[in-house]
Amino acid sequence: MKNSLLALLLVAFTTLTSFVYQDTEGNRLIGVWESGNGRARVKVEKIGSKYYGKIVWLKEPIDPVTKQPKTDKNNPDQALQNIPLKGYRNLKDFVYAGKNEWNEGTIYDPLNGSTYSCTIKMKDKNTLEIRGYIGVSALGRTDIWKRLEVKPKS
Amino acid sequence: MLPIFKDTQKCLLYLILFWAVVNHSYAQTDTANKSTATQTTENEDFSQYDNIEFAETGAKRYCSPKIEGISPQKLIGLGFDFQASHNMSLDSFNGNLASGDAHSYAINNASGIRFNCNIPVISKSSIVWQMGANYWETRYNRADQGLSLPFFPNPLANALLNNGLRTLGLNTTIFKPLNETNFILFQGSADLNGDYDWNLMPMKYLKYSAAVIYGKRPSERKQWGLGLSRTYRVGELNYIPIFMFNYTDAKNKWGSEILFPAKAHIRRTINPRNMIFAGYELEGQSYRLYRDNYLRNEDLEIRRGEIRLRLVYECSIKEFLWLSFQAGYRINYRYNVDRLENGNEILRAFGILSKEPYVMNNKLSNPLYFNISLNLVSP
Repeated sequence: MKNSLLALLLVAFTTLTSFVYQDTEGNRLIGVWESGNGRARVKVEKIGSKYYGKIVWLKEPIDPVTKQPKTDKNNPDQALQNIPLKGYRNLKDFVYAGKNEWNEGTIYDPLNGSTYSCTIKMKDKNTLEIRGYIGVSALGRTDIWKRLEVKPKS
Repeated sequence: MLPIFKDTQKCLLYLILFWAVVNHSYAQTDTANKSTATQTTENEDFSQYDNIEFAETGAKRYCSPKIEGISPQKLIGLGFDFQASHNMSLDSFNGNLASGDAHSYAINNASGIRFNCNIPVISKSSIVWQMGANYWETRYNRADQGLSLPFFPNPLANALLNNGLRTLGLNTTIFKPLNETNFILFQGSADLNGDYDWNLMPMKYLKYSAAVIYGKRPSERKQWGLGLSRTYRVGELNYIPIFMFNYTDAKNKWGSEILFPAKAHIRRTINPRNMIFAGYELEGQSYRLYRDNYLRNEDLEIRRGEIRLRLVYECSIKEFLWLSFQAGYRINYRYNVDRLENGNEILRAFGILSKEPYVMNNKLSNPLYFNISLNLVSP
């Protein structure tokens, strides 16, 4: 009995440590990233147990027609077309799966109003491979995002 | 109960309790402050993200292969091409006709399936490499097919009307951005064109085409480039300069998609899922006459080049599944037969390098045509 309880304690401790470790590993995704074409910057944060990203900067933030900040005008849902792109959550529901990979998420492309399945791979601490795809991963496109260094305002 | 059991049990209970409380409170704190909705409501000072640099020294920005508003790239497409009734006047050849006069054949229609696929192999900001395959066919349906004419006096008519023409090919596209504005684009293809059937022709009959473009992408809405191509688009081999110009206006209503002289279209965007194009495309290839022993031994190829003036409507019918419908006028540019010289094509360069006559000078009248296809488009 004594040995069983010790074993149980050990398992509980190992599991807890593993969860904490997984959490720490997964949190490496948190930060501000720039898309490959330099057109947008996305801030990734953790909400609950999942990771989300929102647009925090646009290279061309003003709509050339309305002269107002850009909105999600290409969204097929008309009710969402007036939502400002700055602050828009374009990455949703990512879960850390281990081995530097986050999956089960989606990415939204405001240029055409489409949402794609998406996986994120961290190539190194400052580089992400973002793969948006349709159905199967082979039918997709990968973009390389780079981490940005946000310095606190003095 | 043993004291050790009591202590361990207590310890375990405290551990589980602690874990549960920490986990629960962490999750609660996090979700209480932040929303997972599409629109975030936190008051965030976005200006803090204006002047920030890469964490990694030496990281570069690259231009994208696409511009804003351009039509989506097709990953997989299956379509049907149909040319309405027209006449085919075939010249005499080596006295093989009953008389020296051209023979005219009324064609009910010329039609066939077209399959294309283009799959990304490497897709990174610093390089995009795609590989593709295509299969096109043209079957000629003669107007008097029902009559008992098992053999036509013209050997070319026999080959065309009985066998049709096919293209089976592989292609590759490499987009290499050099920095935020400059890029190099390379396209290459190897095609097996001829009147073969399921028994393919030998690979030595492959026709190679290629194009390389040096381009600039000065803004999110414009890219242009200049380059050189080796092409069979007007039927015979040519080396010609090419000019690319893709543009979308500020309202994302009008634009152009031009790869001159191969194709040029004006685009009207109704919305990002509905587009109309007006323009033209040059289509053509050199087709080996292979199945007929007599023609094969003569080392003959059809130089087929045509201009397709057209209107195209493309729309998303369900998310990433797009329908493309085009209709227009197919104008025959060339449908002549050439004999190879010691197995080599004659490089005429529009008559500048050689004025060698064709073996057969054929004519096709110009019918209306349509093409409909279903396409899976790229993210």
